[in-house]
Formats: sequence, structure tokens, C-alpha cells
Amino acid sequence: MNIKLNSRDPVYIQVIRYFKEQIATGILEPGQEIASRRELANKLKINPNTAQRAYKEMEEQGLIFTEGNLPSRITKDEVIIKHVREELILEAVNTFIASIQSINVPLEEAVELIKKNYHKNPNEQEGNQ
Amino acid sequence: MKNFLKLTNFELNRFSKIYITLIGLTLVMQTIGMILLSSSYMSDVEEQLAMGNSMEWITINLGTFSFSSLTRTFWFGGPIIIAIVTLLIYVFFIWYRDWFGKNTFIYRLLMIPTARINLFFAKASTIFLMVLGLISLQLVFILLENELLKILVSDAFREDQSLKQIIFNFDYMGVLYPNSIIQFFINYGIGFMAVFVIFTGILFERCYRLKGILFGILFAGVSLLIFISPILLQVTILNEFFYPIEIFILMAITGLVVISGSIWMSHYLLNKKIRV
Amino acid sequence: MIEVKDITKKFGRKKVLNGVSFTANKGEITCLIGINGVGKTTILNAIMNLTPINSGEVLIDGEKIHKESYEKITFIPDAITMLPQMRIADAMQFMADFYQSWNQVRADELLSFFKLDPNDRISSLSKGNTAKVNMLLGLALDVDYLLMDEPFSGIDIFSREQIADVFTSHLVEDRGVVITTHEISDIEHLIDKAVILNDGVVLREFNAEDVRENEGKSIIDVMREVYQA
Repeated sequence: MNIKLNSRDPVYIQVIRYFKEQIATGILEPGQEIASRRELANKLKINPNTAQRAYKEMEEQGLIFTEGNLPSRITKDEVIIKHVREELILEAVNTFIASIQSINVPLEEAVELIKKNYHKNPNEQEGNQ
Repeated sequence: MKNFLKLTNFELNRFSKIYITLIGLTLVMQTIGMILLSSSYMSDVEEQLAMGNSMEWITINLGTFSFSSLTRTFWFGGPIIIAIVTLLIYVFFIWYRDWFGKNTFIYRLLMIPTARINLFFAKASTIFLMVLGLISLQLVFILLENELLKILVSDAFREDQSLKQIIFNFDYMGVLYPNSIIQFFINYGIGFMAVFVIFTGILFERCYRLKGILFGILFAGVSLLIFISPILLQVTILNEFFYPIEIFILMAITGLVVISGSIWMSHYLLNKKIRV
Repeated sequence: MIEVKDITKKFGRKKVLNGVSFTANKGEITCLIGINGVGKTTILNAIMNLTPINSGEVLIDGEKIHKESYEKITFIPDAITMLPQMRIADAMQFMADFYQSWNQVRADELLSFFKLDPNDRISSLSKGNTAKVNMLLGLALDVDYLLMDEPFSGIDIFSREQIADVFTSHLVEDRGVVITTHEISDIEHLIDKAVILNDGVVLREFNAEDVRENEGKSIIDVMREVYQA
């Protein structure tokens, strides 16, 4: 699990975000089992209550579901998965737009630069913060 | 009750190495002393006999050999003094060892789910049991050493003594081995009372450090006054008012008062004022 | 819940604790934060009645501490709570003898988790291993509350990671934990509640996630803020 946590954003939100990225990129497949709250807390070295809160939120947002006492699983709902992907893309796009607007770059120039540099750094394709 | 027994057992175990050493030292020194002294006497006797002197002459001029010949030497009294001093030191050390050096065992003792006064009782019981154990063993040793004496020194030159005589002839031993049961309870009762008072003094020091030493001494002073108050009254104000038996009863009462006071004070200090 | 209510304490003339109040809940990890000497250890000692307080009170689940409390709450101080000449096995036997809440199964689990040999004498152990033994003695008790004084101090990074592992495991789950430390960076993400102390009082008591969410600040940010005020 390759997640870097910062200390200023609520940890549970960072965890949810991480799961959204994994879902959007298909690394976590629909219906896939995920670690228990405690396993997650242990792996990420976070407070178990925080893991609990993240899972609760994700459950409420429909990102995961839990049947009885079985381990929680990623949603199988294609619509939700699509929304997650769109949400992340939109977020990245808006962030990008905001930063180039603040330095007054015209749209065409921005698009040109994107086309030129998109395939250069594979690392950047995963969407990072 | 169970915790008290467990703690007492624990405290006894902690001291067992030193205890065994004291016992061993006593037996070894006293036995060696017996052997050396009786051999030396017997070789003097042989010498005299070889010179042609009669047994009678020898018993008059050289004297006979008795157990007291041993008890008046350091071979016998030495280990006893060592044991007494060791136990006196341990009356203090049994507490301080839990705080000092690399020990922070006092944390654990104070966090055991039991009344803290049990720590007090367990340590006191340990001292009592060790004292009683030592004096009992000493009696056994005397009997053994006496048998050894009978083997080493022939009848003619030997003066046999009963246990009572042996004890009587050894200065101060009569205190440890009194003649009557009543006297036994009095002597050891006072001794144990003193241990309780000392323990309370130690706890004062542990609670208040420097100031605590003063409090402890004050406490001991007051305890002493309370204890001997019947006698004080007797010799001052009341002028020989009481019969001896009444003095005895009164002092038994004041003794109990002092012991209760120690226990109560220690209980308070352990629960409300002690610090690691 | 552990409630510390307005406790004061003087050492000689100096008022070390000048009205300290905070609460620590079961199921949460509460961290007392402050510079060395501020009184964190004194507070833990006071909660356990290992040192007297001048005023105020401490309640554990609504009750003042008494002898049975030690089956409900335990303290893992900075120093080893066993005799140096004891072997680890002897120390565990001692605990089993005196505590009903001693869980031998968990103790054995911790022995292998920490990779400790029960036949080793405590005096022969390294600092890191001594700290682990100390922790074992506390964690193997089925108590509701665990107090730990500087569990990370002076031990190497691998031992520290093991100890942090403990905090996220079932060994600590559902219990109320109060720890003190001045090495916040190791455990920023492990803490539920932070209590920042200075000059004998609580400067700020807060839930870490709430502050991150509502103020965008990390615990260290808040520390900087309150210390400069």
C-alpha cells in the first residue's frame, strides 16, 4: 500500500481519497475484498478509530459494502465507480485550470503543452497529489 | 489474606540467600570454634599428662572444659553479632531496596491490587519469621555442638551443662531465650513493636524525605513515651501506686496502642502520601 | 473514562501542576504533550496514586482509585517495574500470581511478537528490550486503561516501530490509552486526542481529526500556536 499521509488533512479523508483513486484506476476491482479496519490501521500506522471512520464514510458514500460479518468489499455498482472517476478527474482538471489561470496562460497554449508532455512522465499518469 | 501470604513468601525468598549464608556462617564458625578450642584444651591436657601430672591436678589448675568455654569466644558470639547486625540493617533495607539502585520495584508493589498495608505486614512478618527462625536454629546448633563437645573432650575433663545453664552463662543470651513464656512474649513483643515503629519512621522519610526523618523521629519519641507512660506515672505523680501486675497489664495496653498507632499511621502514609 | 479534575501539585515551593484537567476515553488514544519536566510523568503518577496531589481529584469510570482499580488500569512507567535479577519468566509469574486480569495467552503472544527469551535476566537486556518487557507486563493485563510514560524514549527505530505496531493492533483495541511523549512525529496519525501542557496547565485539549478537518492544522501546528501565545 503506497500511501503517504500528511498531518494537516484529516487522515480519514486521505484514506477515502486513496481508496477512490484505487477504485478509479481499477486497481481495486468491483466486488474486491478489502482489508479489515484493524488491518488497514496496522498497515498505514493510523489510529483504528480513524480507519473505522473512513470505512463508515465510504460505506455511506456507497464505495464499499459489508454483508454481515464478512470482510468489506468494493462496490459493484458501475455508476458509482464512474462517478468516482469523474470526480477525481474533475478535481485534477480544476486544480490545473486554477493554477494556469493564476499565471495567465491562454487555453490553447495550455492544451499544446499538455499534448506534448502527457506521455513523458509515466509516473504522473497515476494521478498524484 | 492471600495477597499478604504471597507477599510474605516473596519477601522471604528475596532474603533467602543472605539468610542461608547467616545460618551457614553460624554453624560453621561455632563448629570450628568448638573443634579448635577443645583440641587446644585437650592437647594442653595431653601435655600435662605427659609431664606426669594427675587428672585431678589438671582439672584444678587447667580447669575443666565446658560449653561456656566456647560461648565466651568470638567463634560463638561472632556469628550471632553478625546476624543481629545484618537483620537490623535489613529492617531498613527491606524497604529502601525497593527504591534504590537500579530498582524501581516500588512501582510494582504499590500497583498490586491489594491493600497497601499488606506490604507493611509482609515485610514485618518476614523480619519476625527470620528472627524466630534464627533463634530456633541456634538452639538446635547448641545441642549439636554440645554433642560434638562430648565426643571431643573426655568425661573427666568435661563439665556438662544443661541448655539453661549454657544460656544463662552467655551474656545477653538470656534476653533472646527468656525463662518464662510471659517474658518471651514481653521481650519479643517489645522487639516487634520497635520494628513496627521503625517501619513507620521509614515510611515518613519516604513520604516527606528530609522533613520525614524529623517526623519519624518524633513519631518514635511519642510512641516511646506512650509505651512507658505507666512507668513514668508510677515513678513520678502516682508514686508507686500500681502493683506490678497492673503495670504489666497497663504496658500491654500501651504497647498495643503503639502498635495500632504504627499500623494506622503507616496505612495512611502508604495510601495518601507515599511517592515513587 | 479517566477524568482528571483540576489537580495541583507542589514539589517544594514549585507548583508543577497548577489546575490540570482533561479526560481520556475508553477506546481512544490520548496523548499528553509537553516539554521535558512539564509534569507529564507526575500526572500519570498522580492518576495511579503513586504520588500524592495537593488538590483536585482523579476519577476512573466515576470512582476514586482503590485497590481493585489496579485490575482495571495499569501503568507502564519509564523504568522497569520488576527486579533486575528476575528472569522474564519470573516477572510474568509474579504478575500471574498477583493479578486476576493477567492474560497468559496474550503474554506468550507478546513474548514472540517482541522476540523475547523468557529465560533472559532483566538486568542483561538492552534498553529496547527492557522497554518491551515493561510493555509486555502492562499489555498482557486485561485492563480497560493503559498509561504509558514515554514508550518511545531512547530506544532504536526498529523497536519503536514494533511498539507503534502494538498501538494499531488488537492488543490495544477498545482500551483507553494515555501516553506521554515529546516525539510527536512518530505518532501523529495514531492519536485520537491531544492534551498540550505547559506551565502546569492544559493549554489545549482537542481531537486531532476534528482540528485537521475544521482548522486544517496538524498537531504540531497547534503546538507551535499555543506555545507561542
